[in-house]
Amino acid sequence: MRTEPIHPTRYVKHLRPQKEWKEIIAIYLYLAGMGAGSYIIGALINWFINPSKVIPIWGLPIDTAKVALLWGPILVAIGAPFLILDLGIKRRFLYAALNPRTSWVARGFLILSIFIVFGLVVMAKSVLPFEWLRPGSPVWYLLEMIAFIFAFGTALYTGILLKATKSIPLWNTYLLPLLFLVSALSTGSMAIILSTLGPGLFSLDAAALKISMGGEQILVVIEGVVLFLYLSRSYRASEQGKDSVRLLLFGEKKLLFWGGIVLLGFIFPVVLETISSLSHGNPVLIFAAGVVLLCGGFFLRLGVLSAGIREQIPMHRLMEIQYELRTMK
Amino acid sequence: MEQKVLVVDQQKCTGCRLCELVCSVHHTGSSNPSRARIKVVKWEHVGIYLPMTCNHCEKAYCVEVCPTKACHREAENNNRVVIDKNLCIGCRTCVVACPFGHPFFDIQDRVTVKCDYCDGDPKCVAFCDPKAITYVDADMIQVTKKREAANKFIESIKQVR
Repeated sequence: MRTEPIHPTRYVKHLRPQKEWKEIIAIYLYLAGMGAGSYIIGALINWFINPSKVIPIWGLPIDTAKVALLWGPILVAIGAPFLILDLGIKRRFLYAALNPRTSWVARGFLILSIFIVFGLVVMAKSVLPFEWLRPGSPVWYLLEMIAFIFAFGTALYTGILLKATKSIPLWNTYLLPLLFLVSALSTGSMAIILSTLGPGLFSLDAAALKISMGGEQILVVIEGVVLFLYLSRSYRASEQGKDSVRLLLFGEKKLLFWGGIVLLGFIFPVVLETISSLSHGNPVLIFAAGVVLLCGGFFLRLGVLSAGIREQIPMHRLMEIQYELRTMK
Repeated sequence: MEQKVLVVDQQKCTGCRLCELVCSVHHTGSSNPSRARIKVVKWEHVGIYLPMTCNHCEKAYCVEVCPTKACHREAENNNRVVIDKNLCIGCRTCVVACPFGHPFFDIQDRVTVKCDYCDGDPKCVAFCDPKAITYVDADMIQVTKKREAANKFIESIKQVR
C-alpha cells in the first residue's frame, strides 16, 4: 500500500511553533494584563461611584473598598518578577531598560515600573486615612490620571510586545493588542468582583457590584467577537498565520483552545453568570464563573504564545518546491 | 572596505554537520553541536539539508528588539551583527524576532549567541569539504551564481552535441 507522502513543512504534525516564550511569559502577560485591567475598571468605579467601607485595622480606619478597587498594581508587581525569572542571567534585569528607543521589552519595563510605582502611591493615598496626605489636592488627581494612562499602556503593552515580533504572523496584527486589552479589562473586572464577593472585608455596595457584573458580561461578549476577528484575520494573513490557527484549532493545541480558552474563558462564565443572575446573584456561582474566567484569560495568553509559527523564509519555499518536484517523479 | 558574507549552497550540503561541530569547538571549546552558531536543518525523508546561519541582515530585527543593546551592528568590522555577552540578559527576544531562527540560547552561558564570522575566518567554511558554505565578497554572490548557471548551460549543450 502506498502511503501518502508527508509534506516537509506544512503537515499539521510538523508545524513547529516558537518555543522560546512559554508558560512563564504567559503568566507575566496575564498578571500584567489583569492587574492593569482591574486598575482601569477600579479607578473608573472609584471616580464615578466612589464606594467606601472604612474598617479599623490595627487602630487605623482603613478604607477597604478602595483596596479591592485599586489593587491592580500589586498584581502587576507580582507578575513583573516572572519576566525576570525567564531571563538567562537574572541579576542583570536592570539592563532591560537600556534600549527604549527601539525595543518594546525595554519600553514595557519602564511602563510597568511607572505604573507599579504610581499605582501603589495612589492606592496608598486612597486607602490610608492620613489628613496630611491632603486627599483632595489636585496633585493627586494628576497622579491618578498618570496611573490610569499607564494602566492602559500596560494592558496594551502585553499585546504590543508580541505584535512587535514581525516574523510571526499570528502575533503581527493590531487585533492582538486589542484582544489583550479587552481580555485584561474582562479578567480585571472579574478580579475586582471576586475580591469583593460576600459580606467580607472588601465588600462593595450593591450598585458598584451590579455595574461590575454587567460590564463584565459585556466585556466577555466583546472579547469573544474580537477573538473571532483576530483568528479569522490571522488565518487570512499568510500561510503561517493559517498554520498557527490550524495548530490552535485542530492541531496539538486544540485542547488548550477548545477546553481552556473557549470553554473556561467564554462558555462556562457566561452560563454560570446567567444562572447566577436568575438565582438572584448566588455568590458561589459568581465565584465559580470568576475562577474559570480567570483561568480562561491565562489560557488565552498561553494559547496565543504557544501557537506562534514563524513566517516562511525563501529557502523554506525552495525546500517545498524541491520536495514537490521529487514527489512528482 | 569590501563586505564579505557567508553564502550557503544547499544543493552541495551532505548534512554531515561538521560545520556545527567545528563552530562549537571554536566558540565554546566543547564539541557540542547544540552550542554551535550554525544549524543544519534536515528533512531526512526527502534528503534535503539546509545549513542555517546568520544573514547579518541590513534591517536586523534582533538589533531592533534587543532591550539592552547587547545585539548591535559593528559597521567598522565587516558590518556584522554581534551580541555582547557582557550585556546580554538572556531574554531571547532576538531569538523570537529573527525570521531565520538564528540567534541561539546557550544553555551553559545563559545568554544568546550568534555567528560573528569567527572574526573574519569562519571555521564552518574552512572545514566544509563539499564547499556548501563559502565566505565571499557580497558583490560577488551574483557573479558566482551566474558563472555556475553558465557552466551548467555549457554542460547541457555538450550533452546535446
